[in-house]
Order: sequence, then C-alpha cells, then structure tokens
Amino acid sequence: MAFTELPIFQALKSKMEWHQTRQAVLAENIAHADTPGYLAREVKNYSFKDHIGRTQLGIATDVTSGGHIAATMSGQTGAEIDRGDSFEVTPSGNSVVLEEQMMKITENQMDFQAATTLYTKGLGLIRTALSK
Amino acid sequence: MDLVKSLFVSASGLKAQSGRMRIIAENIANASSTGKAPDEEPYRRKIPTFKTTFDRELGAEKVELGKIAEDKSDFKSTFIPGHPAADEKGYVLQPNVNTLIETTDMREAQRSYEANLNVIESTRRMLQRTIDILKA
Repeated sequence: MAFTELPIFQALKSKMEWHQTRQAVLAENIAHADTPGYLAREVKNYSFKDHIGRTQLGIATDVTSGGHIAATMSGQTGAEIDRGDSFEVTPSGNSVVLEEQMMKITENQMDFQAATTLYTKGLGLIRTALSK
Repeated sequence: MDLVKSLFVSASGLKAQSGRMRIIAENIANASSTGKAPDEEPYRRKIPTFKTTFDRELGAEKVELGKIAEDKSDFKSTFIPGHPAADEKGYVLQPNVNTLIETTDMREAQRSYEANLNVIESTRRMLQRTIDILKA
C-alpha cells in the first residue's frame, strides 16, 4: 500500500479537489457578474464524514483473465453545483454580488492552503518515521 | 484540471470586460460627433451586451461579448444657427451620449475587471501551493 492511500491523504486529496471545483464555480460567477439573467452558483458543503476512513475513492474493475484491461473509475468529490441564495438580484436578473464572491474566493484559497499545509505535514510525519 | 479551468473562465471575463471598455471609450470619444449635413444623424450611443457560452472543450461556462445594441433614445437638439448640420430653425441634433452614465459604466467595467484579476491571482496562488508540496 502506497502511503498516498492512507485515509488522511485520501481525505485531504478529496478536500483539495473540492476546493478546485469550488474555485472554478466561483470564477464562473465572477466572470458572469454583468451577464443578465445569470444566477450565482455554489458548491455543496464539503464534509469529511463522507471521505474519511475510505481507503479508495474509486471503483476498480476486476481482472480475471489475461485479456482484461485494469481500469479505475476515479471517485468524484461529490461537488454538485446548485443555485444558491444571494443577497440581492439586480433588475436584469443577475444575482452575483461581487463582494460576496470575493469573500468566498479568499476563504476558498485559505482553506486550500490549510489542506496543502496539512498534506505537507503528513508527508513530514512519514519522513520522520523513516528517520530521514 | 479545475484550477486551469477557472483561469480560462476568468480570462474570458477579462476579455468581455475589456470589450465593454472599448465600447464605452467609443461612446465618450464620440460624445459630440454631430452630423455634417442637416439630414445626417449624429453618433448613436452603443450598448454592449454579455452572453453566457458553454465551452465544450473546457466543460465550463464562459462569458462573451454579445451583440452590440444601439441606444434607441431620442437625440437632443441645441440651438447653433451657424452649424453646417443646423436645420432651417438653427437646431443641431446632438448624440444621445450622457458622459455621466458612461463614466459610471466605466467604473463598473473597471471593478469587474479587477475582480477577475483577483480570481486569477488567487487561483495562481493555489496552484503554487500545490506545487510547493513537492518541495516539502
């Protein structure tokens, strides 16, 4: 078992993937800040409960014969896009509030930093165990 | 990769906003472009529109500058008897550009442009953090 399959790394990896998805959704919102009729979107909250303790996120196919090809279906992070509530909607039907979106972008970036730092610390622990 | 995707979406936002800025610049530059003859129309104000386009290759919704509409509002007329475009009563049709509205629009375009730039900066930092895991 590779050390990246450890539950903590799996959980952090899925959290980082979730933050990437969220960054893309928030970037779309900000790019459409002046498009009439555009409704701001948000990714569903992330919960560690869904991911922690899992050794594998995806589904792998069985190889029972030499002619089979091993394949894995990569596990999705469960980030779904849904129409969120916003503070205000302009007369043109646009519900993007730039200030709100910028706050979310900063929050997302900081949480992502926390996840990458934890990942680095985890690698450090393993390095200590290897006494290197 | 989602982070690269968000970079492309923000870049499309920058492009759309700079296109809008171009239209605003045209409007302000032509704020006093009257016709040369009495039957000639003065400059008509242009209105930029935005539209959402789904980029199949990227798998994300980009923003684009849509059709450039014309402002259908009436022209104002001012009394300048000696003007080549003046009618028999001495009135000249002026463009329907209001510099105050254009300046406000310009500020809004600028603000949206800055917001997109900030997203690019934030995404770039996230990418950098990911690469930094390698250094640890």
